[in-house]
Amino acid sequence: MNKVIEVEHLTKEYKKQKAVNNLSFTVQEGEILGLLGPNGSGKSTTINCILSLLKFQKGKIKIFGKEMTPSAYDIKKDIGVVFQEVAVFEELTVYENIDYFCGLYIKDRKKREQFILEAIDLVGLEHYQKFYPKQLSGGLLRRLNIACGIAHKPKLIFFDEPTVAVDPQSRNNILSGIETLRKNGATIIYTTHYMEEVEILCDRVMILDKGEMIASGTIAELKKLTNIEEKVTVEIANLKEKEQKKLKEFPNVMDVTYQNGLLIISYKKGQNNLLTLMDYLKENQINYQKIYSERPTLNDVFLELTGKELRD
Amino acid sequence: MFFHNFKYTFKILFKNKSLIFWTFAFPIILGTLFYFAFSDIEKKEQFDRIQIAIIENELPNEIWNQALKELSEEGENQILQLQYTNIEQANKLLEEEKISGILILDSEQKLIVKKNGINETILKFAIEEIKQTETMLKNIIHSITYESQIQDTKNSINMTIQKILQMKTESMNNIKDVSVNNMSYTMIEYYTLIAMTCLYGGLLSMIAIQKNLANMGSVGKRSATSPTTKKTMILSSLLSSYLIQLIGIILLFLYTIFVLNVDYGNHFSFVVLLTLVGCFAGLSLGIFLASTLKSSENSKTGILLAITMFGCFLSGMMGITMKYVVDKNIPFINRINPANLITDGFYALYYYDTQTRFYHNVIGLLLISCFLIFISILFLRRQTYDNL
Repeated sequence: MNKVIEVEHLTKEYKKQKAVNNLSFTVQEGEILGLLGPNGSGKSTTINCILSLLKFQKGKIKIFGKEMTPSAYDIKKDIGVVFQEVAVFEELTVYENIDYFCGLYIKDRKKREQFILEAIDLVGLEHYQKFYPKQLSGGLLRRLNIACGIAHKPKLIFFDEPTVAVDPQSRNNILSGIETLRKNGATIIYTTHYMEEVEILCDRVMILDKGEMIASGTIAELKKLTNIEEKVTVEIANLKEKEQKKLKEFPNVMDVTYQNGLLIISYKKGQNNLLTLMDYLKENQINYQKIYSERPTLNDVFLELTGKELRD
Repeated sequence: MFFHNFKYTFKILFKNKSLIFWTFAFPIILGTLFYFAFSDIEKKEQFDRIQIAIIENELPNEIWNQALKELSEEGENQILQLQYTNIEQANKLLEEEKISGILILDSEQKLIVKKNGINETILKFAIEEIKQTETMLKNIIHSITYESQIQDTKNSINMTIQKILQMKTESMNNIKDVSVNNMSYTMIEYYTLIAMTCLYGGLLSMIAIQKNLANMGSVGKRSATSPTTKKTMILSSLLSSYLIQLIGIILLFLYTIFVLNVDYGNHFSFVVLLTLVGCFAGLSLGIFLASTLKSSENSKTGILLAITMFGCFLSGMMGITMKYVVDKNIPFINRINPANLITDGFYALYYYDTQTRFYHNVIGLLLISCFLIFISILFLRRQTYDNL
């Protein structure tokens, strides 16, 4: 597999504060790399540096084996970008917007027409071609934003939080569109702070915090970074302090939290934990509504690595 | 890519209601306001024929007869409107200010006026001139023996008439502060309006360019990551802005000529040439500010409007005196002020017989425009930002 992106020791400072600190990574052809991190972790800054929109103090960036510069037009023709903010013209219709941006890459009119229709089909905007952006809902606007970024069939696509504030239907549509792009051979960098999306889409994940890479690998590899093997959540209306203390003394228990009627117990190892807990609750006549067990998520990994929630 | 960006930029600009207002509607509204505000003043300032009552106590002599006939003959050069009446009626008319003076044709011609105004001054001058010519002619009339001398006598009367006409013209100039036709106060305002409209075109190019700047929003970021070169983007955006600007200017000309009946005189082709170059200068200014300033779109728009209005102020939009003050004290400012170069070009067409000064202004505008575009391209080429 070829390396599509090579980033070496990238450092970007804003007034002596490091937004990206000595970041190095590569992206292989055809893979989806997820950039995961809370707001301000340096995800967008990293993308803007890779795209040569932002100046950076140190580091080297290569795309398709060539050094990326603001005037590297031969590289840019194979790149598509879907920014976090909707980047379309209010004065143009859905079709015209896609045509405008696609036309900056593809000169041939007939080829462009075909590409535009394919992009419209991919994001499900067939019935909105003559609509103006202000006539579209938030979710449809996001889909248009994506169509504008990918209509020219780029080999490398950057998605910067494309599903922020969209309805579930549009989100599913967007995610399945990205899956299709991957199947068609595109290499994708996907930034988000929704771990579910990362788990669905990404082959590899890089977790960023304060501009630094704190972990990187496949989802399975990342989950191994946490000591938690099982997490049990119980809905209990009222749980006394002494009961919580008792639960902490149970075998394999790493942590016990009780907040807003939710008891969460994290276990190091995962054998018969749920049954033991249920027996204890029954014996002590502690009433509960729901109880469920789950494997650790990326959020748990992130929490353990940084001490913060992903959506902080 | 050039035509593609040209086409869509045209569409985007043309559908921007606020831009269309400032480029198309605002100059027309302002022109209409000028029409209502200044045309009345001009009408009041128009030279009315001087009403004069003639009292004939003696049979008039031929010299007076001919002179008065010439000055009261209907046409462009008519100065006097004569009313032959008696002294009582004449006094009444003078009292009611329906006439400017009473001329009593007696053994000694006597002019009676009530006040000292422009009309009275012209009347006094006219009567004095006729008197002097009469005296001169009486002295030589006895010695006329040849046909040629009779012709000389007629020529003298004609010269007197010409002198009086010249006096009238000079008086008119004092009133209007302009010296030649097609250059009334209202016309100065219309020319400054054209200059302002040309420079307002900067708004078009500014918006057109900003859609390619990564630091001006997400659309700019997307354009900046495309493989289309900055030069192509700038030049095609400039061309579509120019086209829209021209449509605006053509509408303004059509409106002022056919609705407001503005007469641009014999130099219309030069007016058009200067306007075309002026529009180019306006667009260049917009591109320059869009490329070099690192502030929000609203701030840039505000700065452009402020520069345009200040430039128009220095070039005499709010009072022609300002132009002369700047020309006299800090001429360099007016030499680099596009608004002044445009208005000065218009003045030059009417004040000077040759077009040298006009072409100096045209060349000046072209040089400034090219300089601004060159700097803009330098700024935008390979541009990356500290933050977005």
